[in-house]
Amino acid sequence: MRLLYLHFERFPIQRQMIEAPTLAGKPIVFVQQIRGERKIFAASSAALTSGIRPGMTLSAGTALVGTLRHFTYCPETERAALMSLAEQLLLIAPAFQLSSPDGLWLDASAAGLCQGEEGLCRRALEICSSRGYRARAAVASEAFTARALARHGRKTAQVILPRNGARALEALPLAALEHIDGSAVAALRSLGLTTLGEVASLPPAALLARMGAAGLLVHRLCRGADDSVFVPTPLPEVLEESIELDWPAESHEPLLFALKTVLDRLCARLCGRRRAAIRLALTLKLDPTGQVQVWLVLARPSARAKILLELAKHRIADLTLPNPIAALTLTVAQSCDDPGSQLALGDVPEGDAGLEVVLSRLSSVLGEDALFAAELEPVHRPEAAYAAKSFRPPEAKKGILAEAEGCQVRITPQADEVLAQRPSRVLERPASLKVELDLEGDLRSARLLGKHRKVLAVSGPERVCGEWWAEVPYNRDYYRVFFDGFGPAWIFRDARDGQFYLQGMFD
Amino acid sequence: MDAAHARQNQVERLRQEIRKLHAAPRRYLAALRTGIRLLDELLPAQGLPLGKVLELWGEAASGKTTLALRAMAGATQENRLGAYVDGPGELYPLAAAALGVELSRLLIVRPKAPGKLVWTAVQLARSGAFSCIALDLTHTGVRLSLAECKKLSEAASRGGCCLLVLTPPEAPGDGMIRLEVSAFGVENVRVEVQRSRQGGAGAQAIIPWDSLYPRDPPRFRYLHGVGSTGFSEDDPKFAERRPQRLKLSWPRDCGGIARSRPGRDVALPELGSSLGL
Repeated sequence: MRLLYLHFERFPIQRQMIEAPTLAGKPIVFVQQIRGERKIFAASSAALTSGIRPGMTLSAGTALVGTLRHFTYCPETERAALMSLAEQLLLIAPAFQLSSPDGLWLDASAAGLCQGEEGLCRRALEICSSRGYRARAAVASEAFTARALARHGRKTAQVILPRNGARALEALPLAALEHIDGSAVAALRSLGLTTLGEVASLPPAALLARMGAAGLLVHRLCRGADDSVFVPTPLPEVLEESIELDWPAESHEPLLFALKTVLDRLCARLCGRRRAAIRLALTLKLDPTGQVQVWLVLARPSARAKILLELAKHRIADLTLPNPIAALTLTVAQSCDDPGSQLALGDVPEGDAGLEVVLSRLSSVLGEDALFAAELEPVHRPEAAYAAKSFRPPEAKKGILAEAEGCQVRITPQADEVLAQRPSRVLERPASLKVELDLEGDLRSARLLGKHRKVLAVSGPERVCGEWWAEVPYNRDYYRVFFDGFGPAWIFRDARDGQFYLQGMFD
Repeated sequence: MDAAHARQNQVERLRQEIRKLHAAPRRYLAALRTGIRLLDELLPAQGLPLGKVLELWGEAASGKTTLALRAMAGATQENRLGAYVDGPGELYPLAAAALGVELSRLLIVRPKAPGKLVWTAVQLARSGAFSCIALDLTHTGVRLSLAECKKLSEAASRGGCCLLVLTPPEAPGDGMIRLEVSAFGVENVRVEVQRSRQGGAGAQAIIPWDSLYPRDPPRFRYLHGVGSTGFSEDDPKFAERRPQRLKLSWPRDCGGIARSRPGRDVALPELGSSLGL
């Protein structure tokens, strides 16, 4: 099985810089509590340049650099960020296996879709770069070979052909074995060995005799033989991202800042799964107690962080909370497949984004049922002849596709004969009409809008009846009547009670 | 070397073309044609100007909704989007379909609060995603303030769309092109340009209902001695009241914006034939 390993050097530092760009170029470190001491776990380039090294105590680091900023290393946070990135990489690979805290393996079996394994490496690095992460990649047939080359190799991306692992590994330092067995590495160093190639050239029986099973394992790894199995990391069913603020937020700005981080991660996970969010729940945890939930409803499914952030901005702009916000959680409550969209030459994605943002904004403020597109129903009862459905305008095919399918500007299809007789306005409920009839039963006048109006012209009747099987059947004679001082109106005589009703207007 | 140089030149030329396409201004360059020749000829833009607000002002059942829907049809038939902010909740989509509106491209918004009508129209217009937006204020009791009219104008200008405001006689708007729509007899609609800074004020047209609903016009039975115009033929004022029809010079088409806007909307040369499609 071919595997691609991605190594992110000083991953916590990179993540912190991405989430807080103002820290770029400044000395920062991550510390963890070890036996009562706060020891430096990872340091930024600026801190390393100043002489700070991992393993130092924080006091020693602060003594070296007075402006040193420190953050507490939290493995769960780093794992969540790595998981988000790994899920986005599912765009190019069918599965991944995390190698916390700073790497992951990808199943490279789909490399053919990316123009080979070099293309896969390139594509993976591009995706990481789009999220702001710097990485090194290596493809090999063994998990150890790929990992060691990505972590300690000199190239940004390299592909090792099957059975060439030993040759590729021979120049790597013994530090590549540290995660396997630290004591074995120390023993090898004490023998004066410095590279994996030197270890591979030793007789395996001698290593077995001196170091036992660990020596044999190390020897096999150095010869490019690794039996470890690729175990894909299971994907969580619930798409949820959380973040705790460094200090409780009392204004919108820090909240939006945190929200952007969470949305970037969540949208990356959605993209990787080819899903688009329809409804999201934003839970704001207040300090010291209490929480508020805000629903983000999308009129068009989307997995774009920019659109969701615009929507969230709009929703929380009017929010008044009793306490400051300590943490936030964003959960995708409803999602669907994301078909994506194709832009044509000259189009800008902002146009589509503008539509989605305004639809989301309107549906949030006015309610989902206030926005709809009408669909004609095969029903004769006039007020039930259409149904509201969600507004999903079809994608306009442009360019060569449209040309090939001949879907240029279309000419209006001829309207159905029945449709052509319908008014542009229909009252929600037919209004009762007081009419005067002549001796022959024809309409002469009616009281409309507070005035007595003569009938100038009449067209009809058009009999519409049906649903005799239902509780409320209908049987109506419709007339198009032109009243004096008023335009054409659509009235009907209900056969059930013999009364006239105003149904609509040809406005 | 020459081939590489020629290819580079070609790429650079294409880049410049793309830059031109992106840089082409989108405002004030085109009009949305309704497909009703008499109506399109009324305004100097030969249609409803994009980036502007037009007020369709008239009594109930005067025909203003039908005119707005014809404009909407012109937009949706070209795969553009239209939006109808339905204040009274009376729009009948069947009529819209009969007038040529593609319903899947027509967003109908029915805000429950009348106070949100203008806000909704402003949001839709500002987004730039819709080519034609109608704001129906009849039977809502809403009267546009001057500030709201300015907001609508600014939004239409920013979004480059044609914003139609349907107002009743008792609540006219301010600062926008006003077309007065009224029923003229039984079978005609009269449209008069009451106010327009772009010119054309005072022009009017008589549009037969048949041309709005082209298929199977109703066969009226006339009562009280009136003719098809709705006026008694022996009425001496009839001749005075009948406006002159405009000269018909604009070629009849199905409306829309395409082929009227330089820059983005100019049709690209066909590529299919060269690719053997």
